Amino acid sequence: MEKNEFQKLWKVFEVIAIGCVLLGALLVLYLIRGLLTPFIIAFVITFFLSPVVNYMEGEGVNRTFAIILLIILTFIFLLILWKLTWPTIQTEISSFQKNAPFYTGKIQDKLEGAMKLLEKKAGFIPQGVMQKAMQQKIGDFTSGMGDVGSLLKIVREFVITFILTQVVVFFFLKDGRKIKKVLIAYVPNKYFETFLTLFHEIHQQISNYIRGQFTDAFIVGVLAIIALYVSGINYAIFIGAVAGLVNIVPYVGLLTGFTFGGLLVLIDTGSIIEALKCVGVLAFVKLLDDIAISPVVVGRSVNVHPLMVIIVISFGGMVHGVWGMVLSVPLYCSMRVSLRILYRGFVEYGKW
Amino acid sequence: MGGRNRLNAILRKIQGKEGRIIPVLRTVSLFEGLAFRDLKKIELIVHERTFMPDEIVFYERQPGAGMYIIKKGLIKLTKTTNGEKVTIAEVGEGEFFGEMSLLEDYPRSAEATAAVKTEVLGIFRPDLFDLIDRNPRLGSKILMKLSQRLSSRLRRMTDMKMKEVESNGKE
Repeated sequence: MEKNEFQKLWKVFEVIAIGCVLLGALLVLYLIRGLLTPFIIAFVITFFLSPVVNYMEGEGVNRTFAIILLIILTFIFLLILWKLTWPTIQTEISSFQKNAPFYTGKIQDKLEGAMKLLEKKAGFIPQGVMQKAMQQKIGDFTSGMGDVGSLLKIVREFVITFILTQVVVFFFLKDGRKIKKVLIAYVPNKYFETFLTLFHEIHQQISNYIRGQFTDAFIVGVLAIIALYVSGINYAIFIGAVAGLVNIVPYVGLLTGFTFGGLLVLIDTGSIIEALKCVGVLAFVKLLDDIAISPVVVGRSVNVHPLMVIIVISFGGMVHGVWGMVLSVPLYCSMRVSLRILYRGFVEYGKW
Repeated sequence: MGGRNRLNAILRKIQGKEGRIIPVLRTVSLFEGLAFRDLKKIELIVHERTFMPDEIVFYERQPGAGMYIIKKGLIKLTKTTNGEKVTIAEVGEGEFFGEMSLLEDYPRSAEATAAVKTEVLGIFRPDLFDLIDRNPRLGSKILMKLSQRLSSRLRRMTDMKMKEVESNGKE
């Protein structure tokens, strides 16, 4: 075999080997995904806080001191937010729990009537099949509503995870650069510069996306609370906060927010008009977000076709639930930019 | 005087040891006159690499990502003209190469090969820009030195070109 042919074959083998290593790493991550949640949260928070720490460091504040100060300030901010909003949320939840059984019963009666009529009109549907299926669905939904009552427990668990996460955040912020250096030290000389470029591009993609989406979600949440409150809709804080939070996930979040708000109001008041009013207010806030907020805050960080975004989010949700959905788009963008850099190095330039 | 020395010794203890990288950074003209705490910040963005004899550091025309400082060893810079490799410079300990890639994303103008076993410190462009963002004062010092180096190179090239034009005119 000629030397050139051997070199070509060796290169192909190298590419396959790198691909196998990457796939293996992904498989390991998939297998240990249950343990990843606190690290994913810490990862997201680090991306959010690092510009503030960098700014403080630039102003002459010691980095470790800046991180500790920022974590303490975050705690104080969350504590104040908790003190201010929790009583209202608690009142909203208990009022909802009190009203819900009455209105779900009312909705169930109406739906059962409609099903009966449908079964009667469409002769091919056996009597009682649709009614039974619907009753089962409503049963699942109302039993699921009991979970709203255990929100306190969920919040408590969240606080514990949050405190643990803060420890990881502290080390990510303080030693992030050292961790990066250690990782890069294992890269062979041949791929050193390509890897550094990749690392930087991926970091940029993820950090821009996370900062943009979270800031946007916060603004949307606040606007939704104000708009719902002004419109006189019950549970304004609860619905607005959820609408803001789910806004982190593109497209899917929008639908979830509308459905959640509409259903909550429908169950609470039993009025379709009220439910539509709530959806209308949320749609108005979303429109405002699309026209004025998102272009400024998120910018063009995600230049991906909407259909691709939906596919990627669905896949992310399948692999790692909500966090999978949150991180799927930036990870997809990172993979895209990686392929572009590898293509540039390998195909256009020919050596990397 | 004794008091000041003692104070300096205490400060050194608080700031930490110099390690292996800072003494090398001190010898580089780009970081001349920088304080220990500034060098500590640069140390954080430096990557240590070792190249074996004849190992390529980077190829000509390859997209450049940063510059290298030679800690130990020798690097040969070559350019390919008419299919032949021509050595344009040899860079030794304490010197640096590839600095143009620190300023712009442009293909490498030459190929760098380790002549002997060589230890280098790599500084990556985005890391430097990030450092400049975080420490504008330190950043301006480094950029000033870099500009001085490029300016002197430009002056040298202009002189060479002028001499060439003058000699052509005489002929």
